[in-house]
Amino acid sequence: MVDFGILLQIVFWGVYAGCIYILLATGLNLIFGVMKIVNFAHGEFLMIGAYITATIFFITGINPYAIILLSMLALIAIGAVVERLCFRPILGTGKLNEIFLSIGLIYIIQNGAAIIWGDAWQSIKSPYQEISVLVGPLNIPIDYIIIMVVTTAILCGLYLFLKKTKIGREMRATSQNRKGAMLVGINVERIDILSFGIGCAIAAAAGTLWVVSGQVFNPYMGSIPAVKAFAIIILGGLGSIPGAIIGGLLYGIAENGAAYYFGGIWKDAISFIILIIVLVIRPTGIFGESGE
Amino acid sequence: MDMDLNLKRDALVRYGTLAVIGIAVVAPFLSGNLYILNVITLMLIFIIFASAWNLLAYSGQGSLGHAAFFGIGAYASTLIAAKSGISPYVTIFLGAAVAAFIGILIGLTCVRLKEWFLAMVTFGFAIIVQTITVSLLTPITGGWDGIASPRLLSPDIYSYQLIEYYSILAITIACIVFIYYVIRSRVGLAFSAIRENELEARAAGVDPVKYRLLAFALSAYLAGIAGALEIHHIGYITPEIFGVDLSFWPITYVILGGLGTLAGPIVGTIVLTIIWEWLKMFGLTFGRYIIIGVLLIMVIIFLPHGLVNLPNEIQKRWKGRKQKDAAPAPVKE
Repeated sequence: MVDFGILLQIVFWGVYAGCIYILLATGLNLIFGVMKIVNFAHGEFLMIGAYITATIFFITGINPYAIILLSMLALIAIGAVVERLCFRPILGTGKLNEIFLSIGLIYIIQNGAAIIWGDAWQSIKSPYQEISVLVGPLNIPIDYIIIMVVTTAILCGLYLFLKKTKIGREMRATSQNRKGAMLVGINVERIDILSFGIGCAIAAAAGTLWVVSGQVFNPYMGSIPAVKAFAIIILGGLGSIPGAIIGGLLYGIAENGAAYYFGGIWKDAISFIILIIVLVIRPTGIFGESGE
Repeated sequence: MDMDLNLKRDALVRYGTLAVIGIAVVAPFLSGNLYILNVITLMLIFIIFASAWNLLAYSGQGSLGHAAFFGIGAYASTLIAAKSGISPYVTIFLGAAVAAFIGILIGLTCVRLKEWFLAMVTFGFAIIVQTITVSLLTPITGGWDGIASPRLLSPDIYSYQLIEYYSILAITIACIVFIYYVIRSRVGLAFSAIRENELEARAAGVDPVKYRLLAFALSAYLAGIAGALEIHHIGYITPEIFGVDLSFWPITYVILGGLGTLAGPIVGTIVLTIIWEWLKMFGLTFGRYIIIGVLLIMVIIFLPHGLVNLPNEIQKRWKGRKQKDAAPAPVKE
């Protein structure tokens, strides 16, 4: 028999893991929507964000949750530089060029981080590590709740930014029709740089949440989550933010379920098994447009 | 003028090919160093691997998980050789056949998919294969610890390294020649037709699904040969062989050398191997990857057709400058 308590625990862990995926997938989606490129090196920005947070925490010892904004600001700058130097020159050139370019970026960023911070696994302790809340059969660490709240806040903030501000509207216009946006006087290159930076900042937030929840990290931590995030936006439909949220939660839960029932080794494989099954049935993803 | 240039280029390619083969043949005698011989042997294996990836790209498909076929060929060949006692020289082709068969299966799920989706499926496939290798198949694969693989030649044989080197060289040349004929045949024509424009290819009577699967099978077969050769050369196999690193190397080699050209993977692999070993002398570990990454990005941005196109680019620039010197640029009105 399936134990209801354990099932609930798995779902809860899944939602927590899903938060990281949702943030990564949302950032990727934003970049894809505006620039129509896929940045396979997106996970490396999560990693840099994680290390920036950890480094500031090691030096100052202030509450790591307070560092999240600093880390995001740093990543906006780094993202803007990467966009300007690497992605802008290849916009509109051969298909898949951005993936090949991402491979170069992965080499550079991972090994740069390994030089700066070393390549050993590290971890930091959250100030709230000892505190947890008992809800019914569930034992919930308070960190997990904070992470869910922060994720929700970031998503709401992004939503308001895209809906209410002028730049947000310009971003949506660019993602709907690049030429049209240019015609009405939107500086699309500035929008590119901004969306790339914001996408990276959201990844940095994910990285920060990753380390403050006590998970271990090293320079190679970002690759697999980023690819999964991309799998999520394929499932959820390229460019669809609600799709990314549903897909992220689904993946978080499926992974934790697989890890519990089949063993931890299946955690990564299950995501891709789901992806392949879905794509065999619907080559355009669950919410993707049909046809070509 | 143009014909003259073409003739010159043909001659250049022909002599260049002969020179490369010549150097490869005498290489073991240029330096008695066993380390260098080992590096060149691995380089030959990676030329096959990169060419296999390139053949798939030639048909308009990309793979981010070619390590899967590399590893499947290696595991299958190892297991067949170890269980049956057949010489690895035979089993590498049997193991590669297993890789090709699985290549067709994965190709079947991929034929309807577009670029990014295909990249994702192949990437995930390598991870799934690795997971299965260390979970369900542990009894025969040894799990994460791996298993010993029969050597191509017994180390008791006099100067076995040399014999091994020449046999791998022969197999590499055979693979390249094979790809050359595939590309020049009707099959190769069909590959480039579906790559350039699937709709027109279909209108011309080319069945894209059939040729996509064929490209997958051929590419997986060649990657399987490369994987099996590497493992029989090293003598040991672990599931690390399915790692992301090994999936990314052939892509790096091909993009650097020149995507979609016969010479691209060869040039890319040779150049990168030389740079890699040269940087090693400075004691760089992480730094090597950074330099390779910068090189890769710069080639993508400034040399979109790879290093093989470098002579053309230089010629174009040089010609442009000469014209500029001869006549001042016309003034815009």
